[in-house]
Amino acid sequence: MGSYSERPWGELHSAQTRQEDDPSAAIERRWGPEFGARPLAAFDPLQGAFLGEGHHMGAVSVCINTQTPLLQFSSTEGGSRPVWEFETDLSKLHEGVDYRFSPGGVTRMVYPLARRLIAEGAWRDVHWVSLNPRAPETVSLPDGITLHNVALDRERLDGYGKAKEAIWTTVHGLAAPRIARDLFWTDDYGEYTYYNRTTAELIRHLDRTADFDIFYIHDFQQLPIGHMLGTLKPKVFRWHIPFDGRRIPAPWRPLLSTYLNSYDVIVVSAERYRASLKSFGHRGRVERLYPYVDPREYGEPTPSEEAAALEKFGISPEDVVALVVARMDPAKRQDRVIEALARLARGFPRLRLVLAGNGSFSGTRGGLGLSKADLWRRHLEATARSRNVADRVVFTGHVSQRELECLYRRCAFTILPSTREGFGLVVVESWLYRKPTVVSRQAGIADLIDDGENGILFDPDRPGGLERAMTRLLRDPGPLRERLGNAGFRTARRCSVDAAVRDETRLLVRVVEN
Amino acid sequence: MVEIPTFLWPVIFFGVILGLTWLFSYLAELAIWGIMRQSNPQITVAAQRLGVVIVWLVGTVLAVQELGVSVDILLLVIALLGAAAIIALRQPLENFGAKYFADLYAPFKLGDTIRLGDQTGRVIEINAMSTVILSEDDRLVGLPNSLFLRQSVVNLTPQAWKEVTVPITLPGSVDLATYESDMLKVLSRLRVRLDRRYPPVFTVRSRSAQSTDLVLTVMVRRPEDREPVLAEVNLRLTEAIEKARSGGARASSEGGSDRARPPSTEPASVGRNGP
Repeated sequence: MGSYSERPWGELHSAQTRQEDDPSAAIERRWGPEFGARPLAAFDPLQGAFLGEGHHMGAVSVCINTQTPLLQFSSTEGGSRPVWEFETDLSKLHEGVDYRFSPGGVTRMVYPLARRLIAEGAWRDVHWVSLNPRAPETVSLPDGITLHNVALDRERLDGYGKAKEAIWTTVHGLAAPRIARDLFWTDDYGEYTYYNRTTAELIRHLDRTADFDIFYIHDFQQLPIGHMLGTLKPKVFRWHIPFDGRRIPAPWRPLLSTYLNSYDVIVVSAERYRASLKSFGHRGRVERLYPYVDPREYGEPTPSEEAAALEKFGISPEDVVALVVARMDPAKRQDRVIEALARLARGFPRLRLVLAGNGSFSGTRGGLGLSKADLWRRHLEATARSRNVADRVVFTGHVSQRELECLYRRCAFTILPSTREGFGLVVVESWLYRKPTVVSRQAGIADLIDDGENGILFDPDRPGGLERAMTRLLRDPGPLRERLGNAGFRTARRCSVDAAVRDETRLLVRVVEN
Repeated sequence: MVEIPTFLWPVIFFGVILGLTWLFSYLAELAIWGIMRQSNPQITVAAQRLGVVIVWLVGTVLAVQELGVSVDILLLVIALLGAAAIIALRQPLENFGAKYFADLYAPFKLGDTIRLGDQTGRVIEINAMSTVILSEDDRLVGLPNSLFLRQSVVNLTPQAWKEVTVPITLPGSVDLATYESDMLKVLSRLRVRLDRRYPPVFTVRSRSAQSTDLVLTVMVRRPEDREPVLAEVNLRLTEAIEKARSGGARASSEGGSDRARPPSTEPASVGRNGP
């Protein structure tokens, strides 16, 4: 949701560099020894195991491809030129003013991983290609990463956006069957292919000079890239969203198989997705790696910062805050939490619901410009009014990193109500603040939750399930919340960037070395 | 009025004949394109090339004769060398030529399981001389391409009849992404004849400085649709290349609206068919 800071890049980067001088010390100071970073071990392909600390394999040149860009640049009102059109030196631009980090996994997960692996000497010459219609063609980051932005004209962007939305809603079980059946025969699919081909051609062009060792493709939207690259070099695809073979429409299966088979390995976020891919008939390699965050990016706000944030959102000290951190999207099902709140309102008069987040990259004007987020927020506001709980629901919109930290600290518990969720990194975030969490069984992260031990699970398709889960936490405010929060904090270790560096490196070395 | 010296006339005729040759070769190219518009574009391109070579050969001989040089000996030497080469290299040339036609007309592709005579296996390589199959008992079997023109080959791959593959050579001046996107839109209009479970797929086979070789794969709904679908697809592909060529020229002079298209060091053309 938030961004790294409100400081200029140069200052931010030097602060991060200082931290990285001794990453273990910095992280242990804040998060305890469980999260301490360890030196990257090297993989011995002959032994099939890591050699241990102190050994390093040669650095690999990596091309990352995501639909969502790492940085979104500010547009300007009134006809003046946006600053990025004439100034692309990030050290002269200001985060929060001229640009901001995209919300979601790209900033929370991919970027920290790339930075860490570059710092560890495992990655070099990292090129990152994304869709970014309003941005400079290339941006060099001080971390050693070069961003390449693909721009489409408005007409193509609209078509692409509709096609990818149809894919997304179908995979999440939210689309009408007709949309899925006809998708490949629409003009929108032509634009979807255009975007992917343009991206693939750019990557191919970059490969001629950078000579990449590996291509790391993220996001379901980019799936055709592996096939389009037409290279025998290793290609890894990260499937972040849920995978349920039963939800894949029959007309999609042959093409989906062709595309999946163009990768050396498919990485999924939960065990159930791996099993489903195998049941689907995918014969290639599938690995399960839990998504992750870098705990060092989550700080402790000062009391004055916390007071200011709570005042901004109108939260009083007596309120019992249930927090939902999610973009404004029907699949996130914030409406069900509002319904549950309405039913619990009388029994728990101090209960307030905070909905933090706005649209994704797809829903922003600087991105694909889809109006989904606005429509969904209006629907939620109308639902709250019709259930007479409008004064109990806080819509924060986009929050800064610091504000997000304040909300995590202040809340009584968090909720992940999604009917379908690839993983659910916000649960890991709330665990870092030792907060108990109520999680939909349909979220990938449910794999890590032992109901009643480190979280409370509920079935989003069963009426009253969420309400009952919330009631357990509301009726037992003391020991249960503390126990769940502490256990969650320990579970968060499995989703830290330090664990990921080890697992991702092991994976990539295996792929490169075959 | 300036009088032209007599010795200059042969040179002038030489130049005029070469000029006319260029004009005739251009007209021949256009005429072949017009006549073969409905047929396989790759065959059309080959026929155009052949037509141009013949016109230039005749034109050059006529022009050289104007200079007073006897070309009888030269033609005789060329003819004898050609005949010797054909006799000496008959087998490889046969295979090479067969490969060219097999690409267009053989009813199989890489990955298919085929049977030729008493050999059965999965096609793992099609090179200039032979088609290599991997037999069920894990043996590599090389089948000379010329055999495919002489013997019946059976494609044992399930539903192989559905698949229509069309080789395309795209000149460097045509943007691949635009071409593919446009063609997908055009092919979506033919969906009533195609199996909707299998959308058209473009696969890049090879690239060079001048062109990109692609293969378009579509699946027909009924066996009797294969030939008409192929003809229609060929026509559309050819038109799209023409459109892309002119569009590409326009875009480069006006400046395109999309960014991050890599500089086109490679060049866009079409071919035909498949099983």
